[in-house]
Amino acid sequence: MGLVRKQQPEPETAPPLDTGELIRKLDDPDPEQRREAALELAGEPDAVPELLARVGLETQPRVRDAMLTTLAGHDTEAVAAGLAVHLASDEAGLRTAVAEALATMPLSVPGLLPDLLAAPDHDVRVMTAMVLADLPTPEARSWLVRMITDDTHPNVVTAAIDALLPAATAEHVPVLEAAARRFPDDPFLQFTVRAALPGLAGTQ
Amino acid sequence: MAGATSAGAGLSDADFDRFTEYFYKRTGIHFTHAKRYFVDKRVETCIRSSPYDTFASWFAALRMDKPDMLQELINELTVNETYFLREDYQFDAMLNTVLPKALAARGGVNRIAGPIKILSLPCSTGEEPYSIALRLLEEWDQIDHVDVEIHGADIDSDVLAKAAHASYGARSLARVPKAWVNKYFTPVGSGRYQVDEGIRSAVTLHKVNVCDTAAMRAFRDFDVIFCRNVLIYFDELSSRRAAENLYGALRPGGHLFLGHSESMSRISPIFTPTRLPEGIVYQRPTGAK
Amino acid sequence: MTRVLVVDDAATVRLYHTSLLREAGFEVAEAANGLEAVEAAMIDSYDLFVVDVNMPKMNGYTCVETLRSETVGTAAPVLMISTEDRPGDADRAYQAGANLYLVKPVSAERLVRVATMLTTGKGPDA
Repeated sequence: MGLVRKQQPEPETAPPLDTGELIRKLDDPDPEQRREAALELAGEPDAVPELLARVGLETQPRVRDAMLTTLAGHDTEAVAAGLAVHLASDEAGLRTAVAEALATMPLSVPGLLPDLLAAPDHDVRVMTAMVLADLPTPEARSWLVRMITDDTHPNVVTAAIDALLPAATAEHVPVLEAAARRFPDDPFLQFTVRAALPGLAGTQ
Repeated sequence: MAGATSAGAGLSDADFDRFTEYFYKRTGIHFTHAKRYFVDKRVETCIRSSPYDTFASWFAALRMDKPDMLQELINELTVNETYFLREDYQFDAMLNTVLPKALAARGGVNRIAGPIKILSLPCSTGEEPYSIALRLLEEWDQIDHVDVEIHGADIDSDVLAKAAHASYGARSLARVPKAWVNKYFTPVGSGRYQVDEGIRSAVTLHKVNVCDTAAMRAFRDFDVIFCRNVLIYFDELSSRRAAENLYGALRPGGHLFLGHSESMSRISPIFTPTRLPEGIVYQRPTGAK
Repeated sequence: MTRVLVVDDAATVRLYHTSLLREAGFEVAEAANGLEAVEAAMIDSYDLFVVDVNMPKMNGYTCVETLRSETVGTAAPVLMISTEDRPGDADRAYQAGANLYLVKPVSAERLVRVATMLTTGKGPDA
């Protein structure tokens, strides 16, 4: 009793499974088995289509998060496109989790933006602004300016303004002023632009 | 310069707000205007040591996820010092609440199968795992009735070598009661004291990267994990993966302590936050869900 | 004083709701996602939660469910405010445990009126 050293010999950890076995584990009835398999498939290109096929169907948020952690590690067009379809999901947990994953994929997300900005569903465009808020690429600002300038839905414009503001400078003042003129009846948008302008005046 | 953006002039109000919002989002650490002078000075230091000459250009680069810049910034803005019994209130929480709960969940003293397992990750030069050992030996009333395994893990083999040697100077030991030093340490010259063999040999040290899922598979069924002041350094995906790996290392119902200014709410929702008298601790849920 | 927790990942929305409620005499704290709100509610008690839907780490529905679950166990009123106006969204909010679901944008008068009604039980419906 008391402090003891790890017992020797230690109970051996099971040997690592190969990719095929891990992919089969993605369909295990035990969510913890699925979660572990999804994580252990990190960096395995053969697993990407399997994970993409399951991420929208997975019912356990913990398993879905693990799948998204592994998928986001592949910053490729196929993964970004496969995930972006879920921005339109009716399930809030899925669409927000996917937006978070996409926000960590600066190489592949810009290629999807022309389509996402043209999505007929304004909720998809709101989610796109959420992605751009955290996407670590210099391009994000110009995409957000485009949304603020061109989008016809006030909730998309306010989401894009929120995403732009942390990185906004004096050069964005006219962009914000123009948005305020376009939506004179949106109280939140009016408030937000009025509150932001004084802080931007002296920035570069 | 207009807008007070050059190093030396302090940040403008708007820059300060943008900066603290960003830092909060990135690390979960919030600086109010009361810390204005401190933040201004430390940010200026970072700008000066960077290739950028204005706040705006430095901040723009930082926001593009430059890991080195963020690390330097966090080092400047946080106390990154390791010593015995640091953030001791968390060890209080472990002794008062977490270990009794763990013991009860595993059937109590008489029926528990296998040891109580505690992991310190990153363990750095060993102050944390040895602090845990000292407090258990001195203050846990069940220590003579239960087996306890303490593990320390770090990615850096240099600090692990120091942890294995376990000799410390006065500064590191400042908070250890004199009686404990006399009882568990041996003077080794130059004002340094070495942790006794009995404790050193009871603490198992490992080299591991917490973001490496395959390597972290070796860590299983821990009752308690201390993972303090490290996740703030990781980018979004790495901190998520680290959290997932720590989840896998805990037994269901096991407890995770983060540093006192850290929160899992910026990293991952997989743990259940639990309020203890000493603060918030994170639990791996017990249910199948 | 009546204490409100404003939960939204958008800093601009937090500022808007916080300013309006403070002007109306409420004491307001903020949380930037559902999980932060859960932690805040474990440490302090609130008389009203104003919760967004689309948030990272923990969305609004899960947040409200957790606030109502034994993890937090608050019975304080919850107002959900969302950009979403799909069929079924309001039902989902009420299932989670919200008391009222509104679609953005919400005018200053309406927000204050609803907050007052939910915290005092008085006044006409929004």
